[in-house]
Amino acid sequence: MRAIHAVAFAVALLSQPANAGVPEAIDAFILPGFARFSAAATDLARAAEADCIPTALRPPFNAAFDAWMTVGDLHLGPSENAAHAVAFWPDTRGFTPRALQGLIEAENTVIDSAESFAEVSIAGRGLFALEMMLYDEGFDAYGPDSYACRLVQRLATDLAAQATALDTAWRDDFAATLLTAGAADNPTFLSEGEALRALYTQVVSGLEFTADSRIGRPMGTFDQPRPERAEAWRSGRSLVNVLAEAEAAVALARRLIDAELPLTDAALDSAKDAASKIDDPGFQDVGDASARFKLEVLDQKIEGIIDAVEQEVGLVLGLQPGFNSQDGD
Amino acid sequence: MIARRSFLAGLAAAAAARPGWASVGSPAYIAAAKRADGGFVLAGLDVSGAERFRVPLPARGHAGAAHPTRAEVVAFARRPGAYALVIDASTGAVLTELAPPAGRQFNGHGLYTDAGATLLTIEQEAEGSAGIVGIWDVAAGYRRLGEFATHGIGPHDARLMPDGETLVVANGGIATDPDDRTKLNIPEMRPSLAYLSPTGDLLDEVRLDEELHFNSIRHLALRDDGLVGFAMQWEGEPAMGYPLLGLHRRGEALLLAEAPLADELAMDGYAGSIAFAADGTELAITSPKGGRVHRFTAEGAFIAAVARADVCGLAAHPEGLIASDGFGGLVTIGTGGTRPLARHDLAWDNHIVAL
Repeated sequence: MRAIHAVAFAVALLSQPANAGVPEAIDAFILPGFARFSAAATDLARAAEADCIPTALRPPFNAAFDAWMTVGDLHLGPSENAAHAVAFWPDTRGFTPRALQGLIEAENTVIDSAESFAEVSIAGRGLFALEMMLYDEGFDAYGPDSYACRLVQRLATDLAAQATALDTAWRDDFAATLLTAGAADNPTFLSEGEALRALYTQVVSGLEFTADSRIGRPMGTFDQPRPERAEAWRSGRSLVNVLAEAEAAVALARRLIDAELPLTDAALDSAKDAASKIDDPGFQDVGDASARFKLEVLDQKIEGIIDAVEQEVGLVLGLQPGFNSQDGD
Repeated sequence: MIARRSFLAGLAAAAAARPGWASVGSPAYIAAAKRADGGFVLAGLDVSGAERFRVPLPARGHAGAAHPTRAEVVAFARRPGAYALVIDASTGAVLTELAPPAGRQFNGHGLYTDAGATLLTIEQEAEGSAGIVGIWDVAAGYRRLGEFATHGIGPHDARLMPDGETLVVANGGIATDPDDRTKLNIPEMRPSLAYLSPTGDLLDEVRLDEELHFNSIRHLALRDDGLVGFAMQWEGEPAMGYPLLGLHRRGEALLLAEAPLADELAMDGYAGSIAFAADGTELAITSPKGGRVHRFTAEGAFIAAVARADVCGLAAHPEGLIASDGFGGLVTIGTGGTRPLARHDLAWDNHIVAL
């Protein structure tokens, strides 16, 4: 096995320049992804202006969340901070319900303008604040003339503004930073290969986040499963998000290398198969032994995608994890 | 007591006249690194990021302590360490191998005091991880003189206060297995910042609020007026977004320096190094896990984040700060922005030590 990798490595070095895959990933995957998210979030904001009631807003909310999932786990460049504001999860300290409760109880006028709302904590903004308003029974019973209605409208327009800002920042600024890796005035990427490595790192860290957090958090321990820790369980999106992230990660990986990825394709198919056997898309049945087992299988399949990507992309491109980020001091 | 003896020893050391730092190109920094072929080296760097010397290291180290005058470095093994090597920076020759007494382990950091006459090593008891400062007589060929307690569990970094004798120690609070790095007491960990007299008396002790007891105080930076910065590593549940930088001045309350929540989350609960900028008006912490540097004013206000993959080492630089990373990069971070300085075919290890 090792010998095969060594050969593949040598071939890749001969055939693929250091920055290969980066323009493809930007043009064919990342920028279109942010454009789609921006369009979907703008649609959601328009829909909220027309009708703020949860039943009306849930479809465009889900469309925006779907669009987000293709680029949501990219945590570099403008997304490094902004991703946390669009998708504030996990909410380990219970900030989101507290922030929303605080705004509603005080009927805080901070929602009256885009400028003032931009000062609200990221925990009280973004997709998960909207999800709480549209799906949580403690929040979703508001009427069309209520403060909560206007809050939802502000949340939606704020999300659209964040999405547009991200789209612009990637297109007009950070794409160039990646493409000029190694230039004398580029302090972010000191060599061409670093941009490729940065994107590859996003593939692996996104899949790891899916395994460790999207699946691992609700699993908890056998004795103490934590269904309330599932991502987006209120909207029943937990499973959708797992699959969407895995597909997005593999799609990005495909752009980074000019090669067939049979192991990765098979691993992704295997994960989809495992997902199809899961009954509750919000992982709320994780306390049940057989449901838990199915989730464990899905977790292993996501780990399988990571292994396949590392073999077929990471090793072939000669990319290894960072020296300092892997272990503590 | 120690000070007087050390003063005399210092004279003896000077008389021994081993080669000084000028003999290896007067580097501004030393840093350990891994070579592309897997070997380990210790390198001396100037302020332009160019190598002034490079000598092999027999294994991966953690931090080094540079002798103030002689071209001599103590390289500490990664914790829990059974040895430290005194290395001749001009040849790479191992001059002396230091081993802690039975039942003690080196913990990654150490420092020279008394103008290089004394070496202090940060250690812990193998069983229970109670912190120890080991005292070594440099002129006598690094003979162990004694030790005293750090008044805490799992100490890591230490600095000498501007008075030249008070020691400030980061007691990380984590007890580790004597044979590997398994953490044994996370639920009960209580890190502290301890100020110790030259004879080991506890002069002052600072602890975090109960809510933050999972925040291991690990690395220290010192300004010449006695302001201490400390960098922390969060051992509790991930994604809590708690502050990772603290500031303390003896006799005053400690101050936690917080970045906006999205930035704090992007640090991934981990600060690997800390340093004050050359002019002392700001300081920064690095997160290799988050791939970013956070800059703060010396009063604790967040300035900005700088993105750099696998960044960890950090030290003062004429332009402000110099940061190193595991991909061989060296960048300067200053008021004028971030500037690429150099790139080496090396993976820089955790720390850069300024000479």
